Amino acid sequence: MSLMQCYCSSKKSVPEADIEEPLYRKPRSRRESPSWSSSSASDRASTSSASNYNMVDFRPRPEDYQIFTVIGHACNEQATISLAKHIPSGTHITIRRINLEECDIDFGILQHEILASKQFAHSNILPLYSAFIHNKELWAVMPLMGYGSCRDLVCHAQFTEGLPELAIAFILRDVLQALEYIHAKGFIHRGIRASHILVSANGQVRLSGMRYMLDTIVGGAKEHVVHDYPTTAIKSLHWMAPEILEQNMAGYDNKSDIYSIGITACELANGCVPFADMPLTLMLLEKMSGTTPRLLDNTTVPDYIMEENQNMEGGTDSGILRDSEGNSRGDTIKYQRIFSSHFHEFVESCLKRDPTERPTATDLLSHSFFKQVKKKSTEAYLPNLLIPVQPLTDATKLPKDDSAVGSLVDRLKDTDLGEQWSF
Amino acid sequence: MPLFGKSQKTPQEMVKNLKEAISQISREDKKGEKASDDVSKNLVLMKTLLYGAGDQEPQSEQVAQLAQEIYNSKLLLLLIQSLHRIDFEGKKDVAQIFNNVLRRQIATRSPTVEHICTQPEILFTLMKGYEQQEIALNCGMMLRECCRYEALAKIMLYSEEFYNFFRYVEVSTFDIASDAFSTFKELLTRHKILCAEFLEANYGRVFDQYQALLNSENYVTRRQALKLLGELLLDRHNFTTMTRYISNPDNLKLMMNMLREKSRNIQFEAFHVFKVFVANPNKPKPILDILLRNKEKLVDFLTKFHTDRSEDEQFNDEKAYLIKQIKELKAPDEH
Repeated sequence: MSLMQCYCSSKKSVPEADIEEPLYRKPRSRRESPSWSSSSASDRASTSSASNYNMVDFRPRPEDYQIFTVIGHACNEQATISLAKHIPSGTHITIRRINLEECDIDFGILQHEILASKQFAHSNILPLYSAFIHNKELWAVMPLMGYGSCRDLVCHAQFTEGLPELAIAFILRDVLQALEYIHAKGFIHRGIRASHILVSANGQVRLSGMRYMLDTIVGGAKEHVVHDYPTTAIKSLHWMAPEILEQNMAGYDNKSDIYSIGITACELANGCVPFADMPLTLMLLEKMSGTTPRLLDNTTVPDYIMEENQNMEGGTDSGILRDSEGNSRGDTIKYQRIFSSHFHEFVESCLKRDPTERPTATDLLSHSFFKQVKKKSTEAYLPNLLIPVQPLTDATKLPKDDSAVGSLVDRLKDTDLGEQWSF
Repeated sequence: MPLFGKSQKTPQEMVKNLKEAISQISREDKKGEKASDDVSKNLVLMKTLLYGAGDQEPQSEQVAQLAQEIYNSKLLLLLIQSLHRIDFEGKKDVAQIFNNVLRRQIATRSPTVEHICTQPEILFTLMKGYEQQEIALNCGMMLRECCRYEALAKIMLYSEEFYNFFRYVEVSTFDIASDAFSTFKELLTRHKILCAEFLEANYGRVFDQYQALLNSENYVTRRQALKLLGELLLDRHNFTTMTRYISNPDNLKLMMNMLREKSRNIQFEAFHVFKVFVANPNKPKPILDILLRNKEKLVDFLTKFHTDRSEDEQFNDEKAYLIKQIKELKAPDEH
């Protein structure tokens, strides 16, 4: 815990985030206020947090940052996430670097992601401090999220079968707060999944993954239904709602994000994303035929095993429980644990086949599933729930990575000293 | 109509309240704080009126009244001039209000476009918005909508402020530079005939500054500028400009050097400009001289150039054509 204390004390000088935010939300009548204004309370809170992080001036120049070790990859392994220090303020941060010369992600998509990130200021959305070009790399400076993503958490030995329900409640409530804000601003996120939910060392939950963000307000007009289908989001297909996968004339709207919340809830609770083990086409068919993934616990696992046994010969795959390794420890855990009926109900309502039957983000925030975290701040509880996972906090003890500097060498390499034209 | 709360404000009241609040917003005291809140509130009200609440469609009569009031009170200019004082969400609301009012149509008329034509200061203020980090992206959103209207694009292209874009697209903050580049590109490509006339009339000034972009220290600026140059030159509307560009040996030298850059992406974009020089049937003497002087080297270079792009048929055809053309080049006195 000493590392964490060290982080907390150093945090005082770095007002990175707004902790004084209201810890619970008052139940509001959705009928009396239009959707634009319904989020004005959270807007105000978020704006203050936005101005807070602006107090540290992260300037767009590489010499202000000292890069330590690589702590992860993103964007189909084409981006490197490094732990770094902002030298003028001494803040530990992360820098995502993408080599634009070698990257096959369309440049427009990267541009869109950076511009979209700048559209939001909310304490549950990962802020982008600064973005700039260094040599052939695009650098994006972001806060250090010590626990990594929720995908990393369920990869931890302790949580391969899923996170505790209470931790999930904290995480999902915060994600829904971010989503409520995003929807109120007329956007659809389209990339909600555990790997896009990050947790800081002090337990703050922040949504990232703005690459597929879609603005439903185009050219001064609001579209109620959209038909834009992301063509490069293959890795997110498992989380996508059936109506997006279908790509039909009916289109889709922000309720598709709610479906992804449901899938993400299963991912966090079960340790793996539903349909993970089946071919994509089969997953598509399962979703369209209305198969609803469920949380795996004592109330559901026995059903599945019965079903599996019955279907042995028929060859139908429920697609939900297929532990290929036959992990017996995992099975035991799933047999013994019990998730609350509120949680089961929450997931079920998110995963309704008909988008109009799914609740809105605002509806979900007053769902009984969140009673257990009511008036409780995520920062105060989440780190304890994640023990024994240790957050990454102190960058200085890690080896320094000099590969990013040496700009002169790089520039020299750019000029071909071989053959020359004769002018 | 809501059952509870205050009765709905009329568009006239909204505009009046907003103007009053804006006039107080720069005060440092409590009144300034209240004014700031009032600005945000009234902006939300206006936005809701224009876009409709939730799934409801906006009421056209109210929208018409609001638009008229906005023109009469010159609110658009005031909002844009005070944009840096409005809070984060309010700035985005201003952009959305602006863009909605802008697309207003009465039969074939666009009253907002006409209004802005009489107040071009609106456009110039928006263009200068790229100089202020906190409003740059909001101004960009409004500018790109303005670009859709030829009358507005014309005012912007022929303004002194246009030349500031050569600076904006190169700023180190990536999001602002990218946004400025999108607007810059939109201005130079959206309305073909307008753009062609502009480039012809201002060739010297534009391409002097464009040269700096092609030599930029910033990799992205260089790559994007080169790509846009290729698009501009290959657009048949810009024939006159293209002819002028490919007659200048300095331009050819620059492209030949870019063909040899380490970056494959830059090499590839340079190829698409270089090919125009070679394909020109009436090469001026200085151009022909350079090509002749490097004949062997060029044939050799192009033969080995991006040989892994075997699936790109058009590129391979063009490359083969260039090699053939260069092989057949003859000095004028030989025949």
